[in-house]
Amino acid sequence: MSPTIELAACSKRFGERVALRRVSFTVPAGTAVALTGPNGSGKSTVLRVVAGLVRPTAGAALVDGTPAADLERTARGTIGYLGHRALAYRGMTAAENLRLMARLHRRPADAVAGALAEVGLGDRGDDRIDGFSRGMLQRLSLARILVTGPALLLLDEPATGLDSEGAALLDAVLGRLRGQVTLLAATHDDAFAARHADAVIRLDRGEVA
Amino acid sequence: MPAVRRFPGGGWVALSGAFIPLAIALAAWWVPDDADQGYSQRIFYFHVPIALTTYAAFSYGAVCAAAYLKTRDPRWDLRSYVGVHVGAIFGTLVLVTGSIWAKVSWGVWWDWSDRQLNVFLVLFLYYCAYFMLRFSVDEGEQRMTYSAVYTLLGVGLIPLSILAVRIAQSLVHPTVFTTSGAAMTHDMLLTFLVAFAGMLCLAAGMIAMELRGKRAALRVRELRRRLEGTDL
Amino acid sequence: MIRDALVLARKDLLLEVRRREVVLAMLQYVITTLVVIHFAIAGAGSSQKAAAGMLWAAILFTAVLSLNRCFAADQEEGALDALLLAPIDRAAIWLGKVLAQITFLLIMEALALPAFWLFFFGEKGPHPLPVIGAVLLANIGLAAIGVLVAGLAQATRARDVLLPVLFLPLSIPLVIAAVTATLESFPGGSGAQESLQFLAVFNIVFVSLAWGTYEHLSGE
Repeated sequence: MSPTIELAACSKRFGERVALRRVSFTVPAGTAVALTGPNGSGKSTVLRVVAGLVRPTAGAALVDGTPAADLERTARGTIGYLGHRALAYRGMTAAENLRLMARLHRRPADAVAGALAEVGLGDRGDDRIDGFSRGMLQRLSLARILVTGPALLLLDEPATGLDSEGAALLDAVLGRLRGQVTLLAATHDDAFAARHADAVIRLDRGEVA
Repeated sequence: MPAVRRFPGGGWVALSGAFIPLAIALAAWWVPDDADQGYSQRIFYFHVPIALTTYAAFSYGAVCAAAYLKTRDPRWDLRSYVGVHVGAIFGTLVLVTGSIWAKVSWGVWWDWSDRQLNVFLVLFLYYCAYFMLRFSVDEGEQRMTYSAVYTLLGVGLIPLSILAVRIAQSLVHPTVFTTSGAAMTHDMLLTFLVAFAGMLCLAAGMIAMELRGKRAALRVRELRRRLEGTDL
Repeated sequence: MIRDALVLARKDLLLEVRRREVVLAMLQYVITTLVVIHFAIAGAGSSQKAAAGMLWAAILFTAVLSLNRCFAADQEEGALDALLLAPIDRAAIWLGKVLAQITFLLIMEALALPAFWLFFFGEKGPHPLPVIGAVLLANIGLAAIGVLVAGLAQATRARDVLLPVLFLPLSIPLVIAAVTATLESFPGGSGAQESLQFLAVFNIVFVSLAWGTYEHLSGE
């Protein structure tokens, strides 16, 4: 169920700027890898490439052997991506956002309540998200991923903005899913990496260090 | 590295160099006057071939765009871009020769009531916007994809242009080619075909030369990046 | 796929009802544009035929206004990425937005057309039925190409500026046919049938093209 990720000499250039240069590594199915490195080292780009949102300029990013950007629909839906932005609609409530995602991912609507509870937003479901703080949006993002029932988790600095309670909830979620999903997480926090990852890959200026 | 021909597109340009002067000679001296319009009608022998060549170049661009979307091979993107570029150049020529013809025949530089002219203008504007789109996206996969999609959308405009001509019963802009064949005598048709062949050869030659130039520039950039260490 | 498109269209309509950003502006804009154009060509005489052109120019520019905001909500918090990651046919994203845009256009036209008739056409105006037919057909074409072009433009650097530049040339054949349909619907005109047929053909061509190519607009 959970996929294997493989980057093979994956490179990405944005205009004149090289974001990734010949990055190669493998994340075996069901395992967790932490991506560390300074700002601008390409961690976010790696995650977006594996999510299929960005096509590599050269090389390949494979999810179970298929290029991520060419994944067929159902496989695409098993990707849970948490980025810098909330990936939600400001004019809608938290619950409405999650119901939309559940609908598009063919998941039952009652998964929404459970996801909200698991991230500690159980009583904020009917509030419009324009009023949400950074930490709450982060929790909402996590709930969004949970609702879609992912097999692959791509997390870009997931603890950003979370207070201690939020961080604990995040740890709980990741602990629960360990072994059932493949995880690739970008993080600055070595303790986080130690807690949740089986291996650590360090990036520096777009290359594996 | 494959052997590089000294003058790519040279064959095409040479052919056009044979056809075009011949067409000029035929149009200027050999072919008889048109019954309605007199001597000034002769620019038709160039104006229409240039217009058809414009359509041909844009179509070439669109075919290459489709090939790019299918294969994701950047070489098709380059061919598509050059096709549209050469089409835009010929398109400018159409508007210029058309204005000259209009001024001489009808006394005005431009005629808004002429649907054929307007539709060509639309197509021309559309493909000029192509360059605006292309150069507001950073180079890479996205730019190539967007350019290809935009070019293919323009394909819808080409048959609709022709349809608009059919619907418009404009008496001002002569429609010479109808579904029942060309309304021309044999010698007029011959002159026309010679000019058309010449224009197509010229366009093909220009495309070949521009491709060569662009590829050379890309090669230079690749070398520069290798020197700077910013290659992939 | 249609169901996904309807879900997404409903989402866009819900957001518009809540935030009221676009439709009210469109209503205001179309009336103001009509007035501006009327004054702008006042010197040329206020013939009925000029009025037909004004109507379509106003509709077109108001459509541009709406299309400029078409992907705004999806970009605010990057929700478009979530849609791209969903296991749906990506053309459903396009179709959902097309349905929403057609709805906004219809609301705008429900106000603009009667106002227009009142101010400019009066009793001697064209037969309303073909004009309404032209409006309905034109909405489909405008929305189809508009949403696709908006999808192109929203990923570029110059997005607000690029949308009208890319959209207007494509819309010109449609406007020509729509105006012809309106003009030929005046008493004494030869009937709008041919123009309406052209609009239908235009729609078939561009809806197919847009539907087929939207899939490709989803990567960097």
